[in-house]
Amino acid sequence: MSDTAALFQPLLGNRCLTDAESCQRYGVDWTKVWAPAPSAVLLPETIEEVQAIVRLANQHRIALVPSGGRTGLSAGAVAADGEVVVAFDRMNKVLAFSEFDRAVTVQPGVVTQQLQEFAEEKNLFYPVDFASAGSSQIGGNIGTNAGGIKVIRYGMTRDWITGLKVVTGKGDLLELNKGLVKNATGYDFRHLFIGSEGTLGFVVEADIQLARQPQNLTVLVLGAPGFSEVMNVLHAFQNKLDLTAFEFFSDKAMAHVLAHGVPKPFETESQYYCLLEFEGVSEDVMNDAMALFEQCVENGWVEDGVMSQSIQQAEQLWQLRERISESISVYTPYKNDISVTVSKVPKFVEEVDAIVQNNYPDFEIVWFGHIGDGNMHLNILKPDALAKEEFFSQCNNVSKWVFEIVQKYNGSISAEHGVGRTKKPYLHYSRSADEIAYMQAVKAVFDPNNIMNPGKLIDMESHS
Amino acid sequence: MKVLVPIKRVVDYNVKVRVKADNSGVDLANVKMAMNPFCEIAVEEAVRLKEKGVVTEIIAVTIGNKAAQEQLRTAMALGADRSILVETEEDAQPLAIAKALKALVDKESPDLVILGKQAIDGDNSQTGQMLAALAGMPQGTFASEVNVADGKVKVTREIDGGLQTVELSLPAVVTTDLRLNEPRYASLPNIMKAKKKPLEVISAADLGVSFASSTKTLKVEPPAERSAGIKVASVAELVEKLKNEAKVI
Repeated sequence: MSDTAALFQPLLGNRCLTDAESCQRYGVDWTKVWAPAPSAVLLPETIEEVQAIVRLANQHRIALVPSGGRTGLSAGAVAADGEVVVAFDRMNKVLAFSEFDRAVTVQPGVVTQQLQEFAEEKNLFYPVDFASAGSSQIGGNIGTNAGGIKVIRYGMTRDWITGLKVVTGKGDLLELNKGLVKNATGYDFRHLFIGSEGTLGFVVEADIQLARQPQNLTVLVLGAPGFSEVMNVLHAFQNKLDLTAFEFFSDKAMAHVLAHGVPKPFETESQYYCLLEFEGVSEDVMNDAMALFEQCVENGWVEDGVMSQSIQQAEQLWQLRERISESISVYTPYKNDISVTVSKVPKFVEEVDAIVQNNYPDFEIVWFGHIGDGNMHLNILKPDALAKEEFFSQCNNVSKWVFEIVQKYNGSISAEHGVGRTKKPYLHYSRSADEIAYMQAVKAVFDPNNIMNPGKLIDMESHS
Repeated sequence: MKVLVPIKRVVDYNVKVRVKADNSGVDLANVKMAMNPFCEIAVEEAVRLKEKGVVTEIIAVTIGNKAAQEQLRTAMALGADRSILVETEEDAQPLAIAKALKALVDKESPDLVILGKQAIDGDNSQTGQMLAALAGMPQGTFASEVNVADGKVKVTREIDGGLQTVELSLPAVVTTDLRLNEPRYASLPNIMKAKKKPLEVISAADLGVSFASSTKTLKVEPPAERSAGIKVASVAELVEKLKNEAKVI
């Protein structure tokens, strides 16, 4: 056992893991770029234990890395430099539920899907949903302000958190907002901790608001001849219906997902496809949807389309969108998760397409994403002839160009995946030097010794 | 050639069904209803026969309340030419349904009746067989392949341990199994066209039948909840528990 691990061992006993397998497992997220090398993995069960861990780490200046479901795509939960991982797997209980407030209090290790299922049992709905919901944990969702496929209607994780208990980098326990709906008493640190990627402290408890269950979710998949038509469809439908999702994907994405075995929605081939979801609560709403479809066809914005007739079909149609990532993974894609305001999307996509095609005509670009909230996933597939290293080095050039365009359009270099280690070098494309300096100053208040997830999101060197 | 496709409105396959607190039945308030999955396969097969030029007219029919019109519209969006709703508020049982369908067969004289092998709510798997008996038509049940040629229909059936192919003279009754086809989606242009297709509403009395049930549901209970699993420390303990507690080895 290392000296570091030996420090924590008396505190946690056999919940201080040092075996190679645990270190390997807990030290890495879905990025798998950095080799995991934590000095220990701790599994606290109580808030007091978390506080004791942080205090001890402060005394000995030991870096701590929070760990949830480790499904992150930005290396925010990676421990590659001998840090101590604090994993919340054992703090995985639903602590309280109030039917009247439609509110639930959970520990950070509760898996997102577990919360969704808990809400469903109570005839309620936790609306933050995304592909990794079966493994990701609420603590990590809060740390990254997770988004997903229902943001257009329900917002991000931030919009559902009414209270947080956090252990700061100094080891203090703060109770933030205490589940209140209205509270105008100064700085709301709750929102500072949401999306802070564990750099200020650890979330040890969360109050979460639940929604009523959506009724008769109905899915349309439409084919559009071009990008501006996709935008027209979005605009037309949003003016009349409360959409719960508006996703788009290109013909290339469609080709890959069909080759992957997902059934074809219709025979007509279009350049772009959009998937819309809404609550088909009444005949009026269904008639509105049909009238909108007719209007879109008459205007030449839509070439063909289908509508789900059952939950089964709705889920099958969602596969067209949700299985894109999986269907292109064999091509070792370069991925980016970027956003601009919705109205700027068409110009932005056009510029990125042009710059990539002009410089690397062999690259296949696959676009898809949550276009209803301006969030696009840019995927570039590796040409077979190109070696992996060479491909990724060329993609680094692409990153620079893409982020320059993001900057020009006042967009975000990371819409929902967080910054972590992978996006840290590019943060300045979305945040000004002044803003980053303020971020560093804020971190120093909550974490004076820079032990909370150091090296993620921002660097502290320039501050000290 | 004319095909009659009886379909049923049921609780959506993906809904987690809950039992009412008073054990009187299943809670249907705000629950998504949809076409029975085996009926979707029956509609699809009829549409494929029409696309092949074998069939000229498809009539969808259902027995149920007013809301069941929704499923008939879906059937017409998928390709049925017209439809009939035998409207009733009763919870009709297979024999009564088969008698109503027999009356419709007499009225419409279809060459083929294609319907699902069972509905996922009652799981009875009786209607097709009873209809064949009442109407004196040959039956090919649990079809995984259907071929119509020269006034006959060849039906490949899924049976225990293999496949059986039977040849029926027309008119005949065919019930569909899961592997017969993969139903298509209802396209939006076709959903709009379906609104203009004829949907006739008739009553049990029009057919000279009654849906009054001869059975009464006394009580509906959810299955017993499974108790949580336990972790064992060793293979020896596992074997011991399988032997002495579970008594399976």
